[in-house]
Amino acid sequence: MSVVKAKRQNPHFRLDLYEPEADLMVLNFGPQHPSTHGVFRMQLHLDGEKIVKAVPDLGYLHRGVEKLCERLTYVQITPIVDKNDYVSPMHNEQAINMAFEKLLGIEVPRRARYLRTIFAELQRMASHLLWLGTFALDLGGAIGGGASVFLHCFRERELILDLFEEVTGARFHYNTHTIGGNRHDITPGWAQSVKSALAVIESRIPEYESITLSNGIFFERTKGIGVLDGELALELGITGPILRASGVDHDLRRDAPYHAYDEIEVKVASAEGGDCWARSVVRLAELRESLRIVRALVDAVPEGPICGYKPIKLVGQVKIPSGQVYSAMESSRGELGTYVIAGGGEGNVSPYRLKIRPPSFHALSALPYLLPGHMVADAVVILGSLDPIMGEVDR
Amino acid sequence: MGHFIDSIRAMGTTLRNFLRPPVTVEYPTVIRPRPERHRVSFALLIDETGDEACIGCLACERICPSQVIAIKQAPKRESKVTGKKRGYADDFTLDLEACIFCELCVQVCPTDAIVMCREPEVPGFCREDLVLTMDKLYANQKDKALSWGTAGKLLEMQDPARGKAEAKPAEGGEDKSAEAGAEKPKAKAGKAKAAKSAPEPAKSAPEPAKSAPEPAVSAPGQSAALPPATDAKPPAPVEVAAKEVAPASGLPQTAETTTKEIP
Repeated sequence: MSVVKAKRQNPHFRLDLYEPEADLMVLNFGPQHPSTHGVFRMQLHLDGEKIVKAVPDLGYLHRGVEKLCERLTYVQITPIVDKNDYVSPMHNEQAINMAFEKLLGIEVPRRARYLRTIFAELQRMASHLLWLGTFALDLGGAIGGGASVFLHCFRERELILDLFEEVTGARFHYNTHTIGGNRHDITPGWAQSVKSALAVIESRIPEYESITLSNGIFFERTKGIGVLDGELALELGITGPILRASGVDHDLRRDAPYHAYDEIEVKVASAEGGDCWARSVVRLAELRESLRIVRALVDAVPEGPICGYKPIKLVGQVKIPSGQVYSAMESSRGELGTYVIAGGGEGNVSPYRLKIRPPSFHALSALPYLLPGHMVADAVVILGSLDPIMGEVDR
Repeated sequence: MGHFIDSIRAMGTTLRNFLRPPVTVEYPTVIRPRPERHRVSFALLIDETGDEACIGCLACERICPSQVIAIKQAPKRESKVTGKKRGYADDFTLDLEACIFCELCVQVCPTDAIVMCREPEVPGFCREDLVLTMDKLYANQKDKALSWGTAGKLLEMQDPARGKAEAKPAEGGEDKSAEAGAEKPKAKAGKAKAAKSAPEPAKSAPEPAKSAPEPAVSAPGQSAALPPATDAKPPAPVEVAAKEVAPASGLPQTAETTTKEIP
């Protein structure tokens, strides 16, 4: 334990070897760099090609969403939080509505819980597909032109977006969840189109693996790169695939079930090693697991209402006089939490304070520990393997 | 050597994908079929009587999260078509530049006046081209394929037993003044109708079992004898049934008009 504590106090422990600091070359990585997954800046202190110190710099995409939510009413917040994690908007909507439902003590109908589970897992697949594509781009030409993996992944991701479009009418910012349930019911033939899309994606996963996981160059670029200790990951608050790749078996879908996860068994994928390789293995295993869950649930969607509360008809319809709540769910990147203090706005129609706990923010806090000792080219790989979404980090 | 074999295998995957039919849609020449619920752009509807459906109640302006709708309310005046006194909007502007297409304005509309289109706006040369004025919005009903969602359909999907929940907020809610213009005349007409033939609302209402069980069971011939026989009870169920008639009778007709307009 004492070792971990020492690590936390000084992540730049290798810097002790270099005195004075001015001898090092400082490289500004980002914020306009395409490999930074948005606008993210790192100050890399280099000794030759080797990184000895990394200072992450956030805030280039800050939009003040939390403050904005204090002015909007409860019913207006759902379409706004869509834009936080713009790679998996479904999870954002669900997380915020779960918090409001917990505050109000509303029971979500069983059909809506099933639909939410299906949407969440489909979104997880779409998110992981996008991650795989961009990660291949980060690795660059090393794996026979990363752009082909990128395009293959986007082709399959499009199938999932088409499914969402058929139900909600939007491809990305759905606004399909509401307090107490869902706004859109599935269309009659939707289950069939889900199954045919899943069949295509399942047949393509071995192809991704043939280019990535079973490729020797991919192995050498990722194995042993950016090793994150499980204990350190826990202490930094890292969750999701990154934590599971570090050997800690933790998944809110299984450990604190929400939606319909208590009715289906989730086989949590985890790996040892904590390096970029393990993170890739975990995410591809999750892709298959999500596929299995959706396939099991899509035929078993029960009949019934999809909303357990009054449908939105007025701006100030939902009034919560007091109370505070924290609710969390497993997004594609880890624990997406929402902390709400009720009782703001005129007539208690807005939250007094709304705090979103994004998993990517915590993932980025590992960078000062992961980067020192690696080459500059590995910095891109490590950052890509953490899968940060800057919209969610800065909010 | 190992890397060489891996590269060959990766090239095999590339070759397999090379032989697959392309999935790309070459946009300006080929337009991908858009699903029914697809939502881009907006339209205001002319209702079945030929009058503007919008009553200028400001419900959509208030709920818009990015505040892109601006409505100038007109004083209540008599409709040129039906002769009933109701609200109007003098001006209705929707700024697509900041719109986030959340469909909330569609859902809160009490008269199903605003709907979304399935065809996007044609790109323009200046920012004003993206600001939908009232004329553009009414023209969109004729020019563009309309999206599936209207307020009535969305609310019915979310809450099939809606008549029950609807009765409460309409009486004591904040939207009383807003809906008054449209609701009351319809409700009165509905009540008169319901008094004449009680079983009719029971047929059109989605779930009559709870609100008006007696008319539903009774045959058309008995309905005339029913109200005087149970004098104390009927007013309440008839009142509810009449309220259900108002939105229910409006819905199918607007749906018909919208489907007609689609080319």
